Amino acid sequence: MTAKRFRFVATMIITLIFLLAWVFPIVWSVLNSLKTDQDVLAYPPKLIFQPTLEAYRDVLFGSGSILPNLISSFVISIGTTVITMLMAVPAAYALARLRFRGKKFAGFYVLATQMLPPVGIIIPYFLILRNIGWIDTYQGIILIYLSFSLPFAIWLLVSYFEDIPFEMEEAAYLDGASRMRTLWRIIIPQVRGGIAVTIVFVFLNAWNEFLFAVVLSGNTVRPVTVAMFNFVSVEQTLWAKLAAVSVLAMLPVVILGIIAQKNIVKGLTVGAVKGGGRR
Amino acid sequence: MKPATATAGIATGTAASDLGRVLAQRERRFAAALLAPAFMALLATTTFPLLFLIGTSAFRMDLAMPFADGFVGLENYRTLLTDDRFWSSLLVSLVYTGATVVLQVALGLALALLVMDMKRGQGWFRVVAILPVVLSPAVVGMIWRTFMLAPEFGIVDYLAINAGLGSKNWLGDPLLAMISVIVIHTWQWTPFAFMVLLASLASLPEDIYEAARLDRASAWQRFRRITLPLLRPAIVMVVIMRTMVALTAFAAIFTVTGGGPGTATEILNLYAYRKSFTELSIGYGSALAVALLIVTLLISGVLFALRRAK
Repeated sequence: MTAKRFRFVATMIITLIFLLAWVFPIVWSVLNSLKTDQDVLAYPPKLIFQPTLEAYRDVLFGSGSILPNLISSFVISIGTTVITMLMAVPAAYALARLRFRGKKFAGFYVLATQMLPPVGIIIPYFLILRNIGWIDTYQGIILIYLSFSLPFAIWLLVSYFEDIPFEMEEAAYLDGASRMRTLWRIIIPQVRGGIAVTIVFVFLNAWNEFLFAVVLSGNTVRPVTVAMFNFVSVEQTLWAKLAAVSVLAMLPVVILGIIAQKNIVKGLTVGAVKGGGRR
Repeated sequence: MKPATATAGIATGTAASDLGRVLAQRERRFAAALLAPAFMALLATTTFPLLFLIGTSAFRMDLAMPFADGFVGLENYRTLLTDDRFWSSLLVSLVYTGATVVLQVALGLALALLVMDMKRGQGWFRVVAILPVVLSPAVVGMIWRTFMLAPEFGIVDYLAINAGLGSKNWLGDPLLAMISVIVIHTWQWTPFAFMVLLASLASLPEDIYEAARLDRASAWQRFRRITLPLLRPAIVMVVIMRTMVALTAFAAIFTVTGGGPGTATEILNLYAYRKSFTELSIGYGSALAVALLIVTLLISGVLFALRRAK
């Protein structure tokens, strides 16, 4: 009985430490974003203080506002998501449901593209985009984002397409429906849930990307993850503002993550069942 | 494709097999049309850059000194083999990858086992574990660099001072900086291992454990002889996925230390970036990127072989 009690307490303490360790850096950023600059710098660190939205007002509407950067992030992420889905849904359907020569190879190719390190993609693309004047443009960034969003979306969608029963399609064909019509009217509605989950993850990955964004962004197109650096300089770090920007950059993905909570393991391990894969 | 085979099966004679052939051909064409856009995009954004990269690695290409550019064949690779910074970055890559992957799997598995036995509160873990993994590594790096690790300001430093260790230059000391970037990566991705392994644990058959308990197997024996072998596929999958990501980690180090102090936390991936975009030696940077690809292929080859081995 006492041994059991001890085990219970020990488990509680260890698991609580984990919970705290994961939550703390995030909560601490939120708290700091609600402080004045004096309160942020207070020593010992202040847990209780008069909250203010000053930092948010400054970073959103003050000079050097990050509003354009947030808009950049949204345009890039939404653009990437729309284009990716338009290409990935038909491709995933073909890979999951149709019979054709080289199907195995096609599936393998989609996975194998993921082995190429992103730095190996951005070096050539930097040279190419520089030549055609696409540095610091939305089309340049979105094009290169397809390199990771497409394989991811295709593999995630294949897993959903494979789950629908064949009878639905057969019935439609026997009624004389064309292939395109069957795909659009019968199949797509069946995988609505899977498509929604895929949209969430493609958006999330695009929002979080950093390497391509650092190389390709400039004064016109600069997502918030890159623009954050403006708040940390050698001379002085604007702590409260930096915290506010971090929270603004985290907010969309945290909301999406919680919406997609039940599917997160599937989204994170997609493709791994059959081969490699990376986030 | 079911419908075509079904029709072909019902009817008999050459007319039917012709019909089958026509249908199969139509299906192939339809598949090609559906696949074309995605595969053109993939060719353009992955295969083509790969070939271009290999080409570039055979040139001296210096954006700062374009007049000296020219074909050099394998010269960049010869330089690479005698480049101390290349070998040190490779070592940093292996240490960073090895340490983060082992820590993620060990901590994730331990926590999954603990949480699995909990009667209440599992839901909390499932929600909280999502938070780190959905965040941008760039934002995570920035938060740790400032609010957690900044000397005489960050919480970690505050705790160190209170514990009597004194204020440390967490990101300025080579060893501490390496430990810091490993801890940050582990912090962000242990929840991933935890979630995958918890899901895998939850799907294990209950009756094997009943039988083991009847046989008076100890908790350790049950873990060693039943749980671990059954979890092996999930563990190997986590190891493979996390290894690939750690090898090409960028934001998580770039935003925290930038590879420094000096080259203390410069993994091969970061070296290829810095060479290409900070020092503007695109040709040599390309050779480094190709070397990274080869290292990635070698390591994944070993891991896949391990996965197949019993």
